[in-house]
Amino acid sequence: MYLKILSELYGASGNEEAVKKYIREIVKKTGKIDYIKEDHLGNLMCFKKGKNQKKTLVLMAHMDEVGLMVSKIEEDGKLNVLPVGGVDPRVLLGKRVVVGEKKINGIIPFKAIHLQKKDYKKVPDWNDIRVDIGAKDKKEAEARVCIGDYCHFYTSFEEYENRYIGKAFDDRAGCSIMLDVLESMTELPAYNVIFAFVVQEENGLCGSGAVLKHFHPDAALILEGTTAGDNPELKKERWSTHLDNGPAINYLQSMYVIDRRLFNAIIRTAEDIKVPYQMKGRTVGGTDAGRLARSFYGVPGAVVNVPARYIHSPVSVMSKSDYHHTLELVKALVMTENYLEALEV
Amino acid sequence: MKELIRKLVDVSSPSGHEKGVHQAILKELEGHIDGYRYDNIGNLIVWKTGVAEKPKKYLLDGHADEIGVVITHIDEKGFLRIDPVGGVNPLMLLGTTLQFESKETHEMIKGICSYESETFEDAKKNLQNPNYDVLFVDIGASSKEEALRHVHVGHFGTYESPFIDQNGKLISKSMDDRIACAIIVQLFKELGKVPNDVYGVFSVQEEVGIVGASVAGYDIMPDMAIAIDVTANSDTPKGFKRMDLCLGNGPAIKIKDKASISDGLVVDTLTNCAKENGIPYQYEVLLFGGTNAHGYQLTRSGIPSGTLSIVTRYVHSPHEMVDMNDVLNAVKLLKKVVE
Repeated sequence: MYLKILSELYGASGNEEAVKKYIREIVKKTGKIDYIKEDHLGNLMCFKKGKNQKKTLVLMAHMDEVGLMVSKIEEDGKLNVLPVGGVDPRVLLGKRVVVGEKKINGIIPFKAIHLQKKDYKKVPDWNDIRVDIGAKDKKEAEARVCIGDYCHFYTSFEEYENRYIGKAFDDRAGCSIMLDVLESMTELPAYNVIFAFVVQEENGLCGSGAVLKHFHPDAALILEGTTAGDNPELKKERWSTHLDNGPAINYLQSMYVIDRRLFNAIIRTAEDIKVPYQMKGRTVGGTDAGRLARSFYGVPGAVVNVPARYIHSPVSVMSKSDYHHTLELVKALVMTENYLEALEV
Repeated sequence: MKELIRKLVDVSSPSGHEKGVHQAILKELEGHIDGYRYDNIGNLIVWKTGVAEKPKKYLLDGHADEIGVVITHIDEKGFLRIDPVGGVNPLMLLGTTLQFESKETHEMIKGICSYESETFEDAKKNLQNPNYDVLFVDIGASSKEEALRHVHVGHFGTYESPFIDQNGKLISKSMDDRIACAIIVQLFKELGKVPNDVYGVFSVQEEVGIVGASVAGYDIMPDMAIAIDVTANSDTPKGFKRMDLCLGNGPAIKIKDKASISDGLVVDTLTNCAKENGIPYQYEVLLFGGTNAHGYQLTRSGIPSGTLSIVTRYVHSPHEMVDMNDVLNAVKLLKKVVE
């Protein structure tokens, strides 16, 4: 499992180089790929020949994570930032980030509680968010960082009992599972498989469509780390997913209804191999499945998620058993013919 | 043609579940088309081949899906929670019957929508601001087990409402966009030998965000794509005062909406055909909304695209109202265009 290292790498949208370099290394090390291709946008596509070479599945996860970008350097040396992907400013106060290629340490400042009366009741918006890199003025800050530098959350990976804790599980969990699937292959998959590690999902599904320019897959299977939202104070009916209940399957998401044939194939496969699964209870949020369905000749897709609490924040929590059940399910979908056969009905 | 419209609106086909409508359409078109196929994502494409030496390709699009709901949770007592599929205002759901195809019997199970109200204050608040957190659906099941016999989480459903034919108007659910499907079917039925290739696309998943159109356009690469869709009206009490769209004034040639500006070629072709043949028409500038024309414009190197609209009252409600004359004139106009 490569989740620890993958999650600790820095790779906000448009800055996936470090993640990609590592993935490429591992893919090569497995020695199980026929060839690797990289496109102009930066997508990494690894082709694996299958038993049935008339059909092709694209297995996809995105390499990018959400983060911040420096938009202005203030006179006092603090940095103005804007979100890259969906970030809730409320989760930022007091957190650590690393800025730019030199990985300068930064802290997102806030007023100490001693100095507050009712200020803490105010919900911060982007106008209130700065990054403090300890520079005494603009000049000193400019010597270390510049406008356009990325800020990444700084969180080390940990595990205890049935939990993984770390940042960027959306979607390094998907990347890690893909590497695990590849590594575990002792025979050819049921059909050709493209392991596609794509860029810039978080800023609007920008990368994935281009994969279809190079390959002609019959269907897509998107792997994601998705919202749990199973906080006890929320109504159970409105939870998105629940940790430990197994991989979560989408049926509807923003801008796309999951292909019913593929959806059914996933459920059938999960039941065949006796892996627990759950439906994703909320229908908001998009994935690359929506992009692939609209691009070129249209590729139908479905989504399997590892649930994670507090995604799009500096720290998220995932269940080990969910991760491993998702891995088992994805393996089965790649190694048996269920998934692409479903399209023939 | 009314019977055709009734047959098509009767089918319950929310986005992603267009098969029912597709089958009904194919049955109607038997003997009237030169061929059909389904593409990768499920668009139904039918065609007639042109006899001209160098035929042009015309694409006519009507989306097969309709708005609906999807079950997101089933509780211990058998009550359902739902989310919208496409633009369903929760206000529309109160007092409306919903329908889901039963897993067990394959008959349509009906559901009634209501809202949580632990106190009078709650009731007032939730009624004034209905939203999917407070809505639930009751299919009369007394337990989770009983509900699960018919439905499951991820089960899609639609409005259920009667088809009404009254005072020259037709009223039903899913006029958006079965009226376009009916127009295209009727057109193919009436077409004899055509000089140009005519493609009818009954596209999928328009309501969740224009999914099918770009794919169909990529496959067919037509010289011109015309989306046929419903549009808003301004002719009801205190209707939109910045627009001029009236039932009965003829099919509406769209100039622009929020998602696209119609290609000049399409607007001119439609306008000239209408003028030359004395077919009534109106122009449409819509302040919001979008149609599959947007999808056709963005695929390949860009397809000249536009929309022919049927002005419709109460769009996205269970009772969408169109004027029969507008429908007949739309068929007439499109026939002239492709001939």
